[in-house]
Amino acid sequence: MTEKFEPRIVGFLCNWCSYAGADLAGSSKLKVPSSLIPIRVMCSSRVDPVLVLTALLQGADGVLVAGCHPGDCHYDEGNYYARRRFAVLKKVIESLGLESGRLRLSWVSASEGQRFADVVTEFNEKIKKMGPNPMKKKSSL
Amino acid sequence: MDRKIGVYICECGPNISEKIDIDKVIEAVSSLKDVVIVEKYKLLCSEDGKNFLKEQIKKHNITHLVVAACSPREHQQTFMNVCENAGINPYLFQLVNIREQCAWITEDKEEATKKAIKLTKAAIKRIYYHTPLEKKQIDSNPDVLVIGGGIAGIEASLQLAKPDRKVYLVEKTSSLGGLVKNFEKTYPDMIPSAPFIQQKIEKVHKNPNITIFTDSEVTGILGFFGNFEVKVNQLAAENKTTDFDVGAVILATGSTLFDPRKSPQYNYGTVDNVITALDFEQMNLTGKIVLKNGKPPKSAAIIHCVGRDKKGYCSEICCMYSLKFIRYLKEKIPGILVTNFYSDLCIPGKSHQKFYEQTLGKNVEFKRAENIEIHKKGEQLDIKYRDENGNTNKSLVDMVILSPALEVPSDSSTLGEFLGISQDDGNFFIEEHEKLSPVSTSTEGVYLAGCTQGPKSIPDTITQAEAVTGKILSSLIPGKKIEPEVKVSYISESFCIGCKTCLDVCSYGCITFNEVKKISVVNEVICRGCGNCVAACPSGAATLKHFTFRQLYQELSEAVQ
Amino acid sequence: MKDKDNTTDVLVIGAGIAGIQASLMLSKSGRQIHVVEKTSYTGGSTIKFEEVFSNMECSTCMLAPIQQEFLQDKNIHLHTLAEVEEIKGTLGNFSVEINKKARYVDMVNCIGCNACFEPCPVSTKNEFEEGLSKRKAIYVPCAGALPNVPMIDTSLCLRFKGKNCQACQEACMFEAIDFNQKDQKIKLDVGSIIVATGFNIFDSTKTPQYGYGKIDDVYTAFEFERLYASNGPTEGKIQLKNGKSPKSAAIIHCVGRDTIGYCSSVCCLYSLKFNHYLKSKIPEIKIFEFYTDLCIPGKLHQKFYEKMRDAGTKLIRSSDINMTKQGQGITISYSDESKKKSSLLVEMVLLAPALVPKEDASTLAKTLGIPVDDYGFYKEENQDISTIMTSKPGIFIVGCSQGPKDIQHSVSQASAAVGKILSSS
Repeated sequence: MTEKFEPRIVGFLCNWCSYAGADLAGSSKLKVPSSLIPIRVMCSSRVDPVLVLTALLQGADGVLVAGCHPGDCHYDEGNYYARRRFAVLKKVIESLGLESGRLRLSWVSASEGQRFADVVTEFNEKIKKMGPNPMKKKSSL
Repeated sequence: MDRKIGVYICECGPNISEKIDIDKVIEAVSSLKDVVIVEKYKLLCSEDGKNFLKEQIKKHNITHLVVAACSPREHQQTFMNVCENAGINPYLFQLVNIREQCAWITEDKEEATKKAIKLTKAAIKRIYYHTPLEKKQIDSNPDVLVIGGGIAGIEASLQLAKPDRKVYLVEKTSSLGGLVKNFEKTYPDMIPSAPFIQQKIEKVHKNPNITIFTDSEVTGILGFFGNFEVKVNQLAAENKTTDFDVGAVILATGSTLFDPRKSPQYNYGTVDNVITALDFEQMNLTGKIVLKNGKPPKSAAIIHCVGRDKKGYCSEICCMYSLKFIRYLKEKIPGILVTNFYSDLCIPGKSHQKFYEQTLGKNVEFKRAENIEIHKKGEQLDIKYRDENGNTNKSLVDMVILSPALEVPSDSSTLGEFLGISQDDGNFFIEEHEKLSPVSTSTEGVYLAGCTQGPKSIPDTITQAEAVTGKILSSLIPGKKIEPEVKVSYISESFCIGCKTCLDVCSYGCITFNEVKKISVVNEVICRGCGNCVAACPSGAATLKHFTFRQLYQELSEAVQ
Repeated sequence: MKDKDNTTDVLVIGAGIAGIQASLMLSKSGRQIHVVEKTSYTGGSTIKFEEVFSNMECSTCMLAPIQQEFLQDKNIHLHTLAEVEEIKGTLGNFSVEINKKARYVDMVNCIGCNACFEPCPVSTKNEFEEGLSKRKAIYVPCAGALPNVPMIDTSLCLRFKGKNCQACQEACMFEAIDFNQKDQKIKLDVGSIIVATGFNIFDSTKTPQYGYGKIDDVYTAFEFERLYASNGPTEGKIQLKNGKSPKSAAIIHCVGRDTIGYCSSVCCLYSLKFNHYLKSKIPEIKIFEFYTDLCIPGKLHQKFYEKMRDAGTKLIRSSDINMTKQGQGITISYSDESKKKSSLLVEMVLLAPALVPKEDASTLAKTLGIPVDDYGFYKEENQDISTIMTSKPGIFIVGCSQGPKDIQHSVSQASAAVGKILSSS
């Protein structure tokens, strides 16, 4: 019997924009997949690549990093660094044998509740199609 | 440490209680290490709820508090205050969002309950690694350094100087007054400018709390908000250097005019009777407007937007002062014919259109023109231009006044480096935030006022000087200590490998390199807590208080279960 | 006669961006601030914009942190649905009487769940959304409005018209709805006053040649802002009345300028911003800007203009503009730069109206005892010395209440008023 695959997605959301956008999705009672577990950080630039890799190696099926739109970062340029780190991370993930699509970077502003819902829904569908993280079986050994 | 964690789940009326099986959550987390009590309550943010928490903390000797309720953006501060009032360090607290990002985003109660359990467990595991954080209090110096003795610097100095707040005003040239002292009148009211600025200069000289350095330059600024060390070099006094300490620095170095020699089509400097706006203001101040041959001109042309194509911005004041020039000319030479050659008339503001309409009249013409060239023709000047119909035309006049763009002096970059602030493509200094903080910079304690921040009129310059006053008076109070951000970055001496990567990524310049120990050091007073340096650090030496790797790891390890 | 003690408290009239910034600065220095806001929400006009020029920053993201700080600050005492009725006294010693209308919803008990909206049987056009969507008699103006507490519009509410309706109260789990609340008269003693009441836009029905109100798909700037807003009536979808996406749009500058006699300084810039709005949702759209003089002063704005121009917008220097309906579209007839008559067919027209004083500016001016200028804005005492000081010491005018200007200048003036207050006491 095949178990229904329920993705586990870790979401790093920046306090000022994307976390606020996620809250707005909730206040507006929009449907957002519960597979995303939010982790609040002050800025998307706090998201250490090691954290993302750890999440994936520990079996996260997907990792979402969300920050302010370019130019809007509360700390001036933090999100530009997040973008650069993300680009490098994608390559690293591929070299580990994981699909780079398991990592997503999105810009969500505080007023974009609907957009947050859309981003998470779409990412969730994509991860469902990809299937469980192959690392899960390996690390359970 | 003898840890006793209290976990409280808010029902939030029906908002959480109807969407999540709270009893299941209680059951799931009760057995976690160090959790001494798990309870639910109707509405924790109410007065009753807050009192309930305070009593519970006392009753169970709780050392760490976890509240599962709404978003931290709603009530983080509320519950941190409860902790403080109950004697717990407010950072030994975690608010779990099981409402906006859990209960409210799904109709599936089972799904929501599972997620709420995960999030609450994650918070409990995270809190194992919370450390108490204390507010710091730093001594500060309320004195102010004002660089630039023009109208902005003068205004700011006069407003700020008090017996308990000294002002040091440093001016490059030998006299105060900047550009404004060259104007006979200012628009739109055409009031005499000289008495206005002279009065202010006298007030500055008479003020015992303002120390003036003319013919002087700032040669060094070290330190940070509340604690800057300044070095001033007095060029006229055999390069005597003076040191003093201040808490804030105001950059009010203003602008100069674009040099029209860089646009040879105007033939400025090669042909007689082509003068700049500043030349004209100075000539007008003498009371006589004359040509090189000593005779008054019978006709004059004013050319707008000189240098605009090279600089790439509109300097805002030129159309208005060009109108002012028409009035100067008509006052002193009533029959003169004046033609303004312009591209777009930029006269924003409630009083400016009236000023324009009242300046028009007999013998005043406005011609929209481009591709302007000025050549000598006998005793006169021949202006060749393309009109708005696309036809080439010519105009013969006695005198040409060029209205050049405003630009920042090229020697300003040294000051920028001292202060750790950047300049844009046009060399203007960049403010902290275009809308919300136009007079602050990314270096805390360093402010901008006047044309050093961007081209602007005298009233706007005065407003900015007053705005800087407001900023300083509200944040640098004599006798009051500065309370910086608590959740700041910290770099471990032992793990730092001296690669300096963090210095580059910090937007606020709060990391310095200790050359002796060869390690990076964070200035906690000005750190804003973004965590960029932490993510950039290759050796893991940098940590962000309250968002440490360990704490975030606990959250994510629970998330992937 | 006994002398009352002077006070250092400050009254701020208006909780828009200027009022909020001034209050936060004053609070930092330990002052007590009483803020009187006419509407039920904070953020003024800025909260209506999705993005601001010139970096297209998200307006709500920019405002939300300072609004939260403003609402949670212990030194700031906000009175919404309140207006100033009387002011007596002088600098250091003003006694102010405000009329605070009842919200009928308890601000402490209400947790902002919005459960009371659905059961309300009455609906009307939502003024915040410029009439483009509906609201109930119990409502918040838009999603994300702060404070997140609804109000009851008694002109619509059935209960206040004598009917026995308590649908909202029955839906509320927090006992937050209180029909027994009463309007209050509150007395405040303050030492200085900052007037930050903002602006209105010129009523485009007064310029019938633009077809506003008569021809479909002619929108004012505020209406278009709400169409584009992600928390607006169409969730950011730019569409015509028939639901389709426009293939072409014209933006008309200087609407009302001839009537009022001044340049509002922001319209050319926000018209360029509208270019960005349109292109970001409908990349293939053709945009035409009808203008007279391009007013884009400042170090950043020409670059911003060039970016928009290079993206393909056609700028047409024009005069004598007239709109007529033509089939599904709008014909714009105009005289071009060389006075030649021409015309253009477009699907959508956006009007950039002038910034004018609020309708009640002259009433408030009388209450304050300060003059208004020829245009109805509050009058500064001497604009060559300070644009924010009035003829009455202790009363400062900032932002668009003093004259049309952009956000940066409004915020500077607000900070300047704080500077004047803190340096004199």
